[in-house]
Amino acid sequence: MIHYEQFTLDNGLRVYVHEDASTPIAAVNILYNVGSRDEDPQRTGFAHLFEHLMFGGSKHIPSYDEPLQRVGGENNAFTSPDITNYYITLPAANIETAFWLESDRMLSLSFDPQVLEVQQKVVIEEFNQRYLNQPYGDAWLKLRPLAYQQHPYRWATIGKDISHIAEATLDDVKSFFFRYYLPNNAILVVAGNVTVEQVKQLCAKWFAPIPAGKPYLRSLPKEPVQTEARRLETSAAVPLNALYKAYHMPGRYEPGFQAADLLSDMLGRSKSSRLYQTLVRDTPLFNNLSAYITASLDPGLLVIQGTLNEGVTLEEANAAVEAVVNELIDQPVPDDELAKVKNQAESTLAFSEVELLNRAMNLAFAANAGDAELVNTEAEKIQAVTPDTIQAMARQVLRPENCSTLFYRAETTTA
Amino acid sequence: MLLDRTQSPSFQAIHEVRLPAVQSTTLANGLPVHLVSVHQQPVMRIECIFDAGTWYENGQAGAAFFAMKMLAEGTAGHSSAQISEYFDRYGAFLELNAGPDRCSVVVYCLTRHLADVLPMVKEMLTEPVFPEKEFEDLRNITLQNLRVNLEKNAYVAGVLFRENLFGKAHPYGRTQRPEVVEQITRTDIAGHFDRTIRNRPFQVLLAGHVTEAEVALVDHYFGSMTFAGAVTDTEALPERTTSQPVILAEKAESLQSSIRMGRRLFTRDHPDFFPMLVTNELLGGYFGSRLMKNIREEKGFTYGISSNLISFRHEGYFLIGTDVKKEFTQQTLDETRKEIRRLQTELVPADELETVKNFMAGEFVGSLNTPFEIADRYKLILLDGLPTDFLTNYVANIRSVSAETIAQMATRYLTETDLIEVVVGGK
Repeated sequence: MIHYEQFTLDNGLRVYVHEDASTPIAAVNILYNVGSRDEDPQRTGFAHLFEHLMFGGSKHIPSYDEPLQRVGGENNAFTSPDITNYYITLPAANIETAFWLESDRMLSLSFDPQVLEVQQKVVIEEFNQRYLNQPYGDAWLKLRPLAYQQHPYRWATIGKDISHIAEATLDDVKSFFFRYYLPNNAILVVAGNVTVEQVKQLCAKWFAPIPAGKPYLRSLPKEPVQTEARRLETSAAVPLNALYKAYHMPGRYEPGFQAADLLSDMLGRSKSSRLYQTLVRDTPLFNNLSAYITASLDPGLLVIQGTLNEGVTLEEANAAVEAVVNELIDQPVPDDELAKVKNQAESTLAFSEVELLNRAMNLAFAANAGDAELVNTEAEKIQAVTPDTIQAMARQVLRPENCSTLFYRAETTTA
Repeated sequence: MLLDRTQSPSFQAIHEVRLPAVQSTTLANGLPVHLVSVHQQPVMRIECIFDAGTWYENGQAGAAFFAMKMLAEGTAGHSSAQISEYFDRYGAFLELNAGPDRCSVVVYCLTRHLADVLPMVKEMLTEPVFPEKEFEDLRNITLQNLRVNLEKNAYVAGVLFRENLFGKAHPYGRTQRPEVVEQITRTDIAGHFDRTIRNRPFQVLLAGHVTEAEVALVDHYFGSMTFAGAVTDTEALPERTTSQPVILAEKAESLQSSIRMGRRLFTRDHPDFFPMLVTNELLGGYFGSRLMKNIREEKGFTYGISSNLISFRHEGYFLIGTDVKKEFTQQTLDETRKEIRRLQTELVPADELETVKNFMAGEFVGSLNTPFEIADRYKLILLDGLPTDFLTNYVANIRSVSAETIAQMATRYLTETDLIEVVVGGK
């Protein structure tokens, strides 16, 4: 249970305060309602590149990091297909520094061409480090456009093509900023050793003077229901064959999400899951095998992913996975198995609220989805799932025609 | 009054740290139980910590890793599948860790499930059977994972660096090599368990929503165990060999090079530990460090570069690590050495030093935010034998480091010829 109070500034900035006097620190989380799904298909990777630029100095403050480090604060950020999220933790006594820094960069960036040039290089190295210079690092770059053909989830947050990042101009940067980085397109959560009154005063001083902008109304192409199984093959110099299967499922706050999530847990969350027990332990076709979900706001993916043992063909492994998946379609799940994954989910939820910053983020995500109270109804929704809803969800999600399968072949090398 | 956004708000420097106390008791059978009690979410962690890491392997590389992983693969009363099913049923998360010095069985669970979890933990610690099939499966999985890891430049660089630094036969230098994993036997593993875990004293650390009631539960399940003395037979350390100054592993197809530079250093109880900690932070310990500013923020060669002081129980080392665009490898090495020389020859400006100290103080306070983080910090005192005021004096010790001392540290410990270099990729 995360308690909070909420108010909205005249410029549209929605503010949530979670008081916790037991900690000496404060967390300040700003979520901007823009992610890679909002990008122009010809300029992908921009939301994430932009996240880097947000640390390159703002209108009145040449350096973002240094003044924060000076008061003992730490910060970071991440970009997802749905949102861009910035966060600070610092000694609670110094919280005003966070307001000063965050409000100035919400007001305006410095738009320094030198910063753009360097961060383009840094992001290209991030692309190399995470996606190209790692075994299987490019799998998601292949899997996304297979699973999504219309919806912008078809490109990765890092971008569809490295050239999109290399070609970004300062004009692109400016128009992106003034379109999305608006008080009325953001959510501020302040948590920790603070009071609501104190946060109100600081908001009035630092954020209230920022003018509102034209509201951003999202209108993205919907992904049509998939009616035919899809298959793609790729290969690279990796040690083992790998299999990826992605099934469309409900979005994070849509009805049925919890059932699909629990379904993925039964399939492949831990060592007692069906896929692990059947295909890693009993008949060891796989070296590892798991299932998870993307939990995106628009309809997401339930993914089954594994690397094969030597001598096992991808065709054989894929057929074996489908057999395990089909059991969930054909037969009701036993009560004790459902109880197990519910207990795992309950426990995960409780642990996710241990860290102050996580509480602040959970609150921001729920508020951005339309209702902060969603953060406190999750446990109930998990408990409400029944064997019937699980089976209905299995029939909806785990249909073969709803699946995109990637065969990632190991190229045989002489080494 | 018009708001002047160019002026930073006033702030307070952190000088002291409030830390919940750790309470320690000893059960009637001599078992030490430590309690870090923070009552927020209804969750907890229990750790059973043994002197059983690679340091205690008696030369048998891989024994600690396999012995720990096998604890969940079968006991006298339960099969591997039943054990995983058991923990999952209570939403409990089991971790089996084998470190350089210690091994631990760790369970994260809702506090109300501790009573359910404890009998299984006890069974794993007292009646493991190391079944042959599960062992072969684990060996196979480990080998395959290793083959994937050996494709990663960063992993290979880490292996080469540690082997070169301590020596391939040293307990801190040896790593999981495929040939070792292929040869290790079930007898080796059971032997490690018998020698270092079975009937050996251990420490129990409880953190989170825990009270005397949880201590009573631990007493109920563990209080009747009997213990022999501590492990005393550790291997004779190999002759200290000279490290190769430069290692280059060419990977023609790599886009990036993974670079490691460093040297053997000291542990946390050394008088120069805090001065060197601040020196390290300035050089590459945080986002605003000199290496990060130079190599990432000015030149854009890398996504990140960092340096660290790593401290095991008996030895420590200093390490700089980064992955850079291959064509900038030599330039990164040169710039890194240049930054070190600058630390040796120019006094750190007062404002930079103040920033780094404030940052370290804030980071320290921020790293004591959950009961688990607090318990992890207390381990330094409880297990590594550091003085009880190590944590309470932490900030003061950082504050007392002067610019002159930093130049001395850089000169004393970061001499160019003392730093070994490993590059995987190309230059």
